Amino acid sequence: MRIIGAQLRISCLAALQYRVGFWSEGVLSLLWSLVGIVPLLVAVDHQGLVAGWGAWQLMVLSGWFLICSSIFGFFLEPSLIATMNHIRHGTLDYVLLRPADALLLCLVTDFAPWRATEFVLGVGLVCLSLWKIGHVPSLGEITTSFVVGASGVVALYAIGVLMLCISFRAIRLQNLAVLLESILNFGRWPVHVFQGVLKAIFMYAIPLAIMTTYPAQALLGTLEVATLLAAMGTALGLAVVARVGWRLSLRTYASASS
Amino acid sequence: MSGPAVVVEGLTKRFRVPRREAGLKAAFAALFRRDYTEVTAIRELSFAIEAGERVGFLGPNGAGKTTTLKILAGLLYPTAGTVRVSGYVPQTRHHGFLRSISLVMGQKRQLSWDLPAVDTFELNRVVFEIDTPTYKRRLGELVERLEIGEVMRQPVRTLSLGERMKCELAAALLHGPSILFLDEPTIGMDVAMQLSLREFIRTYNENHGATVILTSHYMEDVAALCPRIIVIDDGNLRFDGSIEALTRRIRPLRRVSVRAVDLPPSERLAQLGSVVDTGDGRLTLDVDPGRVPEVVSVLVQLPDCRDLEVSDAPLEEVMRELFSRSRADAGTASQPEGAA
Repeated sequence: MRIIGAQLRISCLAALQYRVGFWSEGVLSLLWSLVGIVPLLVAVDHQGLVAGWGAWQLMVLSGWFLICSSIFGFFLEPSLIATMNHIRHGTLDYVLLRPADALLLCLVTDFAPWRATEFVLGVGLVCLSLWKIGHVPSLGEITTSFVVGASGVVALYAIGVLMLCISFRAIRLQNLAVLLESILNFGRWPVHVFQGVLKAIFMYAIPLAIMTTYPAQALLGTLEVATLLAAMGTALGLAVVARVGWRLSLRTYASASS
Repeated sequence: MSGPAVVVEGLTKRFRVPRREAGLKAAFAALFRRDYTEVTAIRELSFAIEAGERVGFLGPNGAGKTTTLKILAGLLYPTAGTVRVSGYVPQTRHHGFLRSISLVMGQKRQLSWDLPAVDTFELNRVVFEIDTPTYKRRLGELVERLEIGEVMRQPVRTLSLGERMKCELAAALLHGPSILFLDEPTIGMDVAMQLSLREFIRTYNENHGATVILTSHYMEDVAALCPRIIVIDDGNLRFDGSIEALTRRIRPLRRVSVRAVDLPPSERLAQLGSVVDTGDGRLTLDVDPGRVPEVVSVLVQLPDCRDLEVSDAPLEEVMRELFSRSRADAGTASQPEGAA
């Protein structure tokens, strides 16, 4: 935690270093979040059932999507891009020379603090939607939602780490982080709307279901225990694969020319 | 720690690197089928370095110096051979090992570009778990010695190369490493800054008993700092010993120079030794070591004789000759049978 805190401090200092950049990023981040929500709020009056989900239930899902997207944009995406650049330019040397877990150091290389606005909006949207539905989640439902949400974050990080592993061999793959963000947008919809291979991918390979659908279901009290256990198992499996992949990839690091 | 600080045995490192011809056609073709070539950066290198030594790594570009340092620092994995540094296998990245070393690279930076260096110092304090009193004491010492009290509070992007390198050194030394790997730390610096850094490195070594392993293209750095040099060329160990021993082996003649108003005729000079230069009223001769007293006694009798110096050949010349011999040996060895 002390390393995460110290690195977060550096990122905040870097964000504060340039006044114009700081405020413009803040305004843009807020606008971007609102632009994502407003059409949903407009559409909610005209939308019928989607794969069994009512309009305000979809809003709970959208709230979770914003929370997940915020975690990705705040913590994971900046670190992925920074680490891919480090690998490309050979400056990963200095990260690897620090006496701490190399993967942890890479995953806290950079942060984008302004993306926290999405988190606040996401929590707000979840609360508003639950109020509109008239459902007050029990403590068990909230806990389950957090547990499955945490599993979703673990899965998200595992996929990020696997992308880093690829970038050790194919060194100009910063676009992968952008691609992942684009794929995450499918998480705005319940996984039940997808069929066949796409559904399998979003349940197990890039498990958007664990990141957004299941946490929303847990809050709405419709998540089955078996699904919760499967979600945790999938996240754990991806985490193990990512960790092994990372260890193997580190051996192929060639640094860059002096 | 007992025993040598660094032990390297049979170290070999090979890289697989992509290659293609120039041009758009080759670039498109490489999208579908890429050729690779295997480059051997280091070949069965073996040496040991005692704690507290200052050792210079010398070699031409691409000789394998930086690759060796990166393997010693645990950044690269060897293809073959064994390495132990401070008693650890570097590639395990044991935290005890990482706390005992530091690597400074003249062409890369660990300091955050947009922030003052002092913010990166603080990050290192946390990551290396340096307690606050020790951190303050070490930082105070480094600030005083490196004279960075003001510059460490300015954004790194606004600093000159020399100022930035001083801050890089401070960042690298805050955790008090016992082994210091320096890869071209003075590259691009003016002479005054080079001298300043050189003096700092020497003092750090003497005060802390730290082992220093230095690579530099500036022979003056190595000659001034390192009693021992390890020369590698094309990944092979060419020499391991003192500069004096290398000079004796490669260029055993002593260099005698003198200024005089009236120099002897060239026939007479040829009897004294091999003439290197006679320009600008200065005579420079390469002389057999056994004949130095005799030659000196002749030269001091020249009219208005002054600035008499007896020295070894400059390290640059020694290295140039060593590498040209290595190339010649390698060329002969690689000649196919029957070739002229």
